[in-house]
Amino acid sequence: MSEPTGVIHDIGYQRYTGLRLGRRAVFGALYVHGVRTAFGLGRSAKAKIFPWLVVGIVLMVAGAVTAIGSQIGETLMTYAQFADSMSWLVIFFVAVAAPELVSRDLRSGVLPLYFSRPLPTVDYPMAKLLALATALWMLLGAPQLVMFLGAAFTGNDMGAVWDELLDLVPGLLYAGLWAVVFAAVGLLIASLTGKRAFAAGGIVAVFLMTTPIVGVLSILPSQAANQLAGIASPSTLVQGVGIWTMRDQVITDPDALGPDLGAFGPVYALVAALLVAACVALLLARYRKVAAR
Amino acid sequence: MSTVSWITARGLFGRRRFLLLLPLPVLLVVLAVLSRGLGVAPSAWGPPVLVGLGLAVVLPVVALIVGTGVLGAEIDDGTVVHVLTTPLPRWQIVLPKLAVAVGATAVTVAVPLFAAGLLADSVRLGLALAVAASIGALAYSALFVAASLLTRRPVLLGLVYVLIWEGLLSNVVTGTRVLSIQHYVIALADRLAPTNLLDTTVSVPVAAVMTALVSVAFTLLAVNRLRSFSVAGETS
Repeated sequence: MSEPTGVIHDIGYQRYTGLRLGRRAVFGALYVHGVRTAFGLGRSAKAKIFPWLVVGIVLMVAGAVTAIGSQIGETLMTYAQFADSMSWLVIFFVAVAAPELVSRDLRSGVLPLYFSRPLPTVDYPMAKLLALATALWMLLGAPQLVMFLGAAFTGNDMGAVWDELLDLVPGLLYAGLWAVVFAAVGLLIASLTGKRAFAAGGIVAVFLMTTPIVGVLSILPSQAANQLAGIASPSTLVQGVGIWTMRDQVITDPDALGPDLGAFGPVYALVAALLVAACVALLLARYRKVAAR
Repeated sequence: MSTVSWITARGLFGRRRFLLLLPLPVLLVVLAVLSRGLGVAPSAWGPPVLVGLGLAVVLPVVALIVGTGVLGAEIDDGTVVHVLTTPLPRWQIVLPKLAVAVGATAVTVAVPLFAAGLLADSVRLGLALAVAASIGALAYSALFVAASLLTRRPVLLGLVYVLIWEGLLSNVVTGTRVLSIQHYVIALADRLAPTNLLDTTVSVPVAAVMTALVSVAFTLLAVNRLRSFSVAGETS
């Protein structure tokens, strides 16, 4: 057996000596990428169709509401009511964005690559959740801003603008509540499957099947059941919290009955908080399992 | 039972995923039993359960998941090539798959609707709902199978139809109900068992003709699309 004749040449490999960004930078990058993914930015035109369809519809409705309102000189819809009336579109947007955010990574098996970075298991789902909640908040907040600008330019003095601003802030907070609740539930469902099609179907099924439960509970022969009915569905749950905290913003028509909460207003807020907490806990548990694989 | 339908059925039921379809019909029956047991008037719980949950949610969502699953799932993971390279005429691929989708959807939806209709009013209403839902399953499945050949994101396209067209628009702009399968089903069920629980503005002849038209047209479209189907991958 002859002596090995191979030579190792020094072709100039070097170690990376630059600044190493830590956990926060990874989290930030995931978050920004997540928000962009939700709207299809930085991706092909086909990925933009559905998110921007929803954005287009909500902006169009906001524009129409503003235009008609300024013509007839009264407010058609408060900022909080706008979020309520867009609930179907919010559900659709969650069904579009949540599978894009988590199901693709599960399906293509790239999670081990993520977790080989200085990224704790907790950060990945939290960054995605934050990104989805931000995207939803922007979806509901941008049209409210359009309505605000329309109303502000219609008003004649600064006092009117200030009044509008005082109405806008609770509207944006309410939109934030919508965003957090829907993002938590939607992302949890999407993280269960790697198939985007199944994830989208599952999200819509869960959100839609809960609404008729409210319908049935609210006609049962028990006052407590009627007043607690809204808890059964995420959209009516959020609405209940809104009615409890800012009734005059959510229900403007004095003749309209609206859902009767009785004395259970705080229960709605508590259940909303528990729902979000439970969804986040389950999401973290799910990713602990996925990361261990 | 042809090989294609056998493969399709196994792809649909062979996975645990199929169990995810069960909560919807079970919920329908549970709500009906609960309302009946607590003595709520059928005129009060009938519309939200039978129409609001049964015909507006369970039927389209089950049809969407099953209808896009029979062909879309195979296109998604690329195994459709194995079927396409056999010397089968394209209609012999589309029709068995459509038949499996219709069968699965009809059974999943018609049985709980029959039970709910029975509890709400009579055997006649239950049968009417079951028959109308099965007819609706045919129309929805044809639509969603065709959708899975028209686009790579059939579920989202189907959701646009179910949520935005049927859910949002046809409640606001009643004219769009003429193009809504949900209202065809309501009209047909109301014709088969006239009660005050079901209410629509679409006339029965329109509903019958349009349902047949939708089913046939979208099946033909699916067959035609599969003739010139391109399996090129897409990375968006």
